[in-house]
Amino acid sequence: MATTRDWHDLTAERSGIGLRLPHLAEVVATRPPVGWFEIHPENFLANPHATELLLDLARDYPISIHTVGVSVGSAHGLDAAHLERFARLVERVNPFLVSGHLAWSTAHGQYLNDLLPLPYTDETLRLVADQLARVEDRLGRRYLLENPSTYVGFAHSTMTEVEFLNELVSRTGCRLLCDVSNVFVSGHNMGHDPYAYIDQLLSTAVGELHLGGFTPEEDEARPGETVLIDTHAERISDSVWPLYAHALRRLGDSPTLIEWDNDLPTLRQLVGEAARAEDVRSRAREVDRAAC
Amino acid sequence: MLLADLQEDIGAAVVDSAIPGCASLLVGGDDPTRRFAIHSRHYAASLARSLVERFAATVWLAGSELVTHAAMEFVREHPPTRPCMAEYGEGFPAYLASCGGTRLPYLGQFATMDWHLGRMAIAVDTAPLQTLADGDPARLAGARLALQPGTEYVALDWSLDELITFYLSGQAPDRYVLRNETVWLELRGCRGELWLNRLTRGDYVFRQAVADGSTLGRAAQLAVGADDGFEPGRAMLAMLHAGLVTEVVQARGDES
Repeated sequence: MATTRDWHDLTAERSGIGLRLPHLAEVVATRPPVGWFEIHPENFLANPHATELLLDLARDYPISIHTVGVSVGSAHGLDAAHLERFARLVERVNPFLVSGHLAWSTAHGQYLNDLLPLPYTDETLRLVADQLARVEDRLGRRYLLENPSTYVGFAHSTMTEVEFLNELVSRTGCRLLCDVSNVFVSGHNMGHDPYAYIDQLLSTAVGELHLGGFTPEEDEARPGETVLIDTHAERISDSVWPLYAHALRRLGDSPTLIEWDNDLPTLRQLVGEAARAEDVRSRAREVDRAAC
Repeated sequence: MLLADLQEDIGAAVVDSAIPGCASLLVGGDDPTRRFAIHSRHYAASLARSLVERFAATVWLAGSELVTHAAMEFVREHPPTRPCMAEYGEGFPAYLASCGGTRLPYLGQFATMDWHLGRMAIAVDTAPLQTLADGDPARLAGARLALQPGTEYVALDWSLDELITFYLSGQAPDRYVLRNETVWLELRGCRGELWLNRLTRGDYVFRQAVADGSTLGRAAQLAVGADDGFEPGRAMLAMLHAGLVTEVVQARGDES
């Protein structure tokens, strides 16, 4: 696996924010006080100007690359051309983390612009393990896999999502990105306990945490109730912060990212959300120290 | 049900906003197909929003309702094939023209210009050649040139360059009469800056042919055929002075 610059001291102290194109020029000009930035490569691959600015930023900040276009769960195979473009960007930026989703988004040459759910079966496990290995082989580095936000599941799943992820780790040694908000959203929508999910996850495999906003909507599948939509268009819910604190204690103090992709706030607001995550992390460390 | 079959079924249902054939396998709430519809809605809404944002000048001209409606239809009929949204929508101007063609016959050409300007704005120039003196003059007619990445040539049937300049500058007059005239246009862009240059017919044909990969000799031949007054030497110098030429990519002495 390729070596990366040692950004770990910095990322241990500071949380990161998702860097979206509307904020790019301001970030380059003002160099805000955040630990690191995460980018979606799909926003940069067809944008030479943005890539030029990103490479400039990468000299001063650790960068994480989080793809929404590498579909490791697609039964119709990986998009080899996209993987190649993605890998070349990774080589240019030399990020400290690279990640993607436990999901699928391509079928028969169509890109469905969504992270679609998988049945948790042996067939899916073999497929994801195989394609994850191909991605890591091409990248020459670890590719962290993120737990999805879920609205529907499959009756023929033979294991739960967390069992699936743990089994994947056992078989492949892969690393995980735990999206704490996704755990909360899926728990609410599918009726499982998010705290129990965090407790069951193989803590040694988790290398990054995500926090993102969600939007409650009336649940047409359960009249009178709400379904939580993973919009990344709002502040982190007050309900998620305690789960995040629990995740820090249970999974360890991993680099944490604030995701906000739609209805973007000001950069200042986004930096404020990252500061709040840092406060929670500080308190979690104090609790740990007190427990010792 | 094999995973490949399941995904084919679900993919088609997402694009068509339909209930998938595998609905009996879904779980989630009392009626999981309602939950599944969240994915279909996200597919259509996110892609349509991407197109509306991508064609902002067209929205300014034709209105949000027309463009959004066309975008919703377009994403169902033409799903993306690649995950980079900046590359999605090249076929949208032609589709839009078929939707608004009666009321706004220039809509397709305007949206095409909008599409190209979006690409030009994110381009990055490379160092231009100042001269072709390094090349062998005897073989110049067989040379092919690379131009700056943020360069595009479009021929218009209306004075749409003036119209889109109003949008780009944010300064539109109270009243503007669009003229039905042929405009030979060069679009240039680099790092957020855009330039629209009207060309003579001869210069347009020459530069477009060079951009498309013709040899200088062939491009000059086409330009002279289109415009009796075309002067190849002057045209070549003008391209160099404009910083358009970045590389002599190929030279073959036997081509003209």
